[in-house]
Amino acid sequence: MFNQGLSLNQAPPASIPFRFFLTAPLFGILIGLVFFFYPLESIIDQYSPVAIAVVHLFTLGMLAMIIFGAMQQMMPVLAGAVIKQPVLFGNIVHISLTLGTLLFSASFLFSNKLLLTIGAISLSISFFVFFSNAIYLLFKVKYLTSTVNAMRIFSICGIITAILGLYLATDYINGSLGTQHFNFVNSHATFGLFGFGVILIMGVAFQVIPMFYVALDFPRYIQNKIPILILIFILALVGFFFLGLDIYVLKVILSSMFILFSVYGLNSLNNRRRPVFDVTLWFWKVSLYMFIISMLNWLFIPQDSMFTLAILFGLGFLYSLLQGMMYKIIPFLAWFHLSSKGHMTIPTMREMIKEDFIKLQFFIFMASILFFLLAGFLSNIFLYLGAFMFIVSNVILIINCANALIKYNQISKLNPMDSFLSK
Amino acid sequence: MTHSISSFMTQDHRDCDEEFAQMEISVSKDDWNEAQVKFDSFSQNLEHHFNMEEKIMFPKFETKTGMLGGPTAMMRMEHEQMRTVVGQMKDDLNAKDKNHFFGLSESLMMLMQQHNMKEEQMLYAMVDAHLSQESQEVINEMQGLVKA
Repeated sequence: MFNQGLSLNQAPPASIPFRFFLTAPLFGILIGLVFFFYPLESIIDQYSPVAIAVVHLFTLGMLAMIIFGAMQQMMPVLAGAVIKQPVLFGNIVHISLTLGTLLFSASFLFSNKLLLTIGAISLSISFFVFFSNAIYLLFKVKYLTSTVNAMRIFSICGIITAILGLYLATDYINGSLGTQHFNFVNSHATFGLFGFGVILIMGVAFQVIPMFYVALDFPRYIQNKIPILILIFILALVGFFFLGLDIYVLKVILSSMFILFSVYGLNSLNNRRRPVFDVTLWFWKVSLYMFIISMLNWLFIPQDSMFTLAILFGLGFLYSLLQGMMYKIIPFLAWFHLSSKGHMTIPTMREMIKEDFIKLQFFIFMASILFFLLAGFLSNIFLYLGAFMFIVSNVILIINCANALIKYNQISKLNPMDSFLSK
Repeated sequence: MTHSISSFMTQDHRDCDEEFAQMEISVSKDDWNEAQVKFDSFSQNLEHHFNMEEKIMFPKFETKTGMLGGPTAMMRMEHEQMRTVVGQMKDDLNAKDKNHFFGLSESLMMLMQQHNMKEEQMLYAMVDAHLSQESQEVINEMQGLVKA
């Protein structure tokens, strides 16, 4: 196993994570378009069918898409967990996740149960194939690190989220929402957002912040204890939902842990050893600030709708960070795979994607968040502006990533020996 | 005091990271003379680290375990890849090409960290498990290697 773990030949070809990364912003464009074709009130109402569609376009089409793509690249490197037949695995997960998300969301937008049935089956294939492999591989890892631990907990939360999701989808298909329906919905969302989303991001941050930026490690107690504590409090939260108890004390505990993590993350980034300007830092810092703000908002501001919180947490925290990560991983993988094949004349990581275009995309993305938030204070008209900016930012994200991929494809078609022959 | 091979080599990784950051600081300040000194020191220590592994630790591990084409072969390949990038950075330093230098240093940073992670989390743990009896002897021998 260790031979495999240390062999980069076992890592998936670059095209596998790339296709996941490029698909995610396409779903972002779809989300933006929904705002122009459906009543705004229905998007803001968290339990309406349109809102369910939008939330899943985001959580499945963007969040899970990027996470699944990145995990296939990271598991062999960070955990020595090598996926056998990575191309077949990547294809099955990618196609079923893309198709499943489209059909699932369409079923809620067009009130069609057949689409929901096929979508739910397709999503089940994607999640169970991904997580059964991830759990099997991660629990075989002999030398444990905080990241492997976090990835294990993330995988367990992921599979529970999927099972709860499947249960809810079955309810919708049968047309019988039980008395406990909203408790199941809240449990599904809690496992998905906190377990699947936050714990994975924590696990990655523990490794990636010190690694990318030569920054301070997170304290050991945060790395070793917080992910398992979060899992325990998620389970407690679910218990409280079903027992009808007030969850405020659990909200305080969970938010405190999340804020503590963010504060240490920001402290580490602000005291990093690498002095070089790096635009991806903007995404990481905004993300961690937004995480803190979203938790304070969740704790202290009475919510008339969850929309503001969803924007702060979903776009501000989760999507900002994932974009920052993609802007690091894509240029590196493009450079790395070309360099490993023996190509000598390769653009450097900084030449793969023009920094000015990343900055432009960042500002437009920030503007979309700002407009979405302003809508809660001023007028729903700002939702249109936010949606428009969100579409534009995702288009630029695709162009930026595609630029690196075009350079990669062009060079990978050449014979590495050509550069020697032409000299 | 007896160190494990793992903790000794991990500390050496951290020292190289620190030197790497110092070198980048000099380049970012456009202090090319200082950058040259820092670069020489960094590349010398990096090469020393590679040699400690390739000339002493890996052969002992390979003899003990019989794993010849496994993890150590992959680590040697990655060392070569890093040596190539360091060579290209040297050219940029001579040409005072700051942008290209940072483009390469970014790649080297990622390569080094990815490589370190694999060593620290897997290979060194295996080395500790197989060479625990002679760990101090291995460390002494590695420390005794003359820097080029």
